[in-house]
Amino acid sequence: MRPRTLASTAWRTFAGRRNLGLLITVLVVLLLVSLVSPQFLSIDNLLVIALQVSFIGIAALGMACLIISGNVDLSIGSQYALCAVTAAMLAKTIPSPLAWIAGIALGAMLGLIDAFMVWRIRISPIIVTLGTLTIFRGIALRVTNGFAVRGVPQVFSTLGRGRWLNVPVPVWMLAGLAMLAHVALHSTKQGRHLFAFGGNPQAAEAAGINGKGMVLTIFAANGALVGLSAVLAASRFGTAAPTFGVGFELDVIAAVILGGVAFTGGEGTIVGVLLAVILLGTINSGLISVGVDPHYAQVVKGAALVMAVTLDQLAHEQQERHRKKLAMQERSPAAGT
Amino acid sequence: MNPRDSEATPAKPLLRCTGITKYFGGVRALNAVSLDFMPGEIVALVGDNGAGKSTLVKIFSGIYQPDEGSIWLGDSEVKHLNPQLARELGIETVYQHLLLCDNLGAAANLMLGREPVSFRLGPFEIIDAKRSIEDARRHLSELGSALDDLSQPVRQLSGGQRQAIAIARVTVGAHSLIQFDEPTAALGMRQTRATLELIQRVAAQGVAVIVISHNLDEVFAVAHRIVAMRLGSVTLDALAHQTSREQVVACMTGVSFGKDAS
Repeated sequence: MRPRTLASTAWRTFAGRRNLGLLITVLVVLLLVSLVSPQFLSIDNLLVIALQVSFIGIAALGMACLIISGNVDLSIGSQYALCAVTAAMLAKTIPSPLAWIAGIALGAMLGLIDAFMVWRIRISPIIVTLGTLTIFRGIALRVTNGFAVRGVPQVFSTLGRGRWLNVPVPVWMLAGLAMLAHVALHSTKQGRHLFAFGGNPQAAEAAGINGKGMVLTIFAANGALVGLSAVLAASRFGTAAPTFGVGFELDVIAAVILGGVAFTGGEGTIVGVLLAVILLGTINSGLISVGVDPHYAQVVKGAALVMAVTLDQLAHEQQERHRKKLAMQERSPAAGT
Repeated sequence: MNPRDSEATPAKPLLRCTGITKYFGGVRALNAVSLDFMPGEIVALVGDNGAGKSTLVKIFSGIYQPDEGSIWLGDSEVKHLNPQLARELGIETVYQHLLLCDNLGAAANLMLGREPVSFRLGPFEIIDAKRSIEDARRHLSELGSALDDLSQPVRQLSGGQRQAIAIARVTVGAHSLIQFDEPTAALGMRQTRATLELIQRVAAQGVAVIVISHNLDEVFAVAHRIVAMRLGSVTLDALAHQTSREQVVACMTGVSFGKDAS
């Protein structure tokens, strides 16, 4: 067997090649934009992009794990709104750190509600969370009477506006959580079992993996991440509105799929998701920098997603042909050892 | 060689069932089935569709509960058998549709649910990837099977290789009974031969083996004992060398071909 370096191993896998493609695309976009607008590559601007993507990025980590396990949570936009307004409202009466924690805990609770229904009713998580999407939004609108929460104390904003070593706190959080998610997903038993469930739930159950515990944990963890993202956003803006996060789920899912997570479950990497989040953020602010109508950003991002899944499909078809060829060889009598 | 033939140790059944009866609504799928299974013995279960073979297999694996009758493992009666308990008792089943995670590699599939852990990190158990691969390779080689790349997704492997992984996976945990539900149905000739050899190796490790098959050539090639079923009843339970294809077919179909119309 020929020796394999880490790099060549990464290149050999489908996900490795895909992630390299994403990385190159990010670099190309950065380069193209900087030709028109040289300040685009300044540290300050890159940090602004990083800050902008950190909210979607944190939520995308949880969503990636959910989709890999064969689930999905469409209600995260409404979870986001409900957590943000709750944390902001609480911050007016209780110490801000407690309000932050309450927002995150509420997210975990909302995720658990989704998980219980997904597990108990055994209907597609798409349907269940489409329902809670409306319910959570309705609650957020009710508790605020439809108005943004104002008069939040200054301290509440220290989390979202804070910097450490000149890097915004949300960016640090995304980086830390992404590393944690990477290890948890790719190197632990729990992560392996997520992939197993996404690949073939029957086989995973037959191997004695506790599906219920996994669904509850993964939805709750996802909710907590959404809660954190919402708290960071409310803290950064110093306010929160019940209309926060409309369409958030679509942005997050688009990033996750562009990052190479198969919507059918069982495939994906945290590195890919992170690269996709960065790519979408770069496209977004790059188009603004070069003076393109920001509405086109939607078109470009959508086109990137469609192109990526098309390439995936082509690659999988090629793989399938290869497998069929193998099977034919095996069946042919001439293939004896 | 049939383990029953050995004189040294008086053969004692590993698993025994007596008077197993199972109804589905008004239909009697199994009618007072009593069988015993010796360690190391390959029992072929043959019969037409609806004869009750799969129902019996599902009762042993704990998926169905019998309406009457009892199951004995060694000297103790097994009550309220369910899939979890069956696993704990070392009863495993290789299904016709292989239960593999197509997206995972051979090693990950083989070690699924029993991954070796190198250390814990808070709630997370870090998998010992190297040992996982080594263990998987060892289990595969015990069955005389080898694969170069144990981390390549198994969807890219051939039917025979997948079969070997599925069989190796159940044999890791099985120490009393392994059931094969039409193990060669989807395979080419060469892989069929390899799979039959795998089954013989598995039996040689001392577990009881049940093979459901429609192919009488295969049955006579591997089985020590042949059990024919018809409409939920056992119509033949004979050592393979003491019966004939004609007798087996007659017992399966209920039609006798002249010479032994007993």
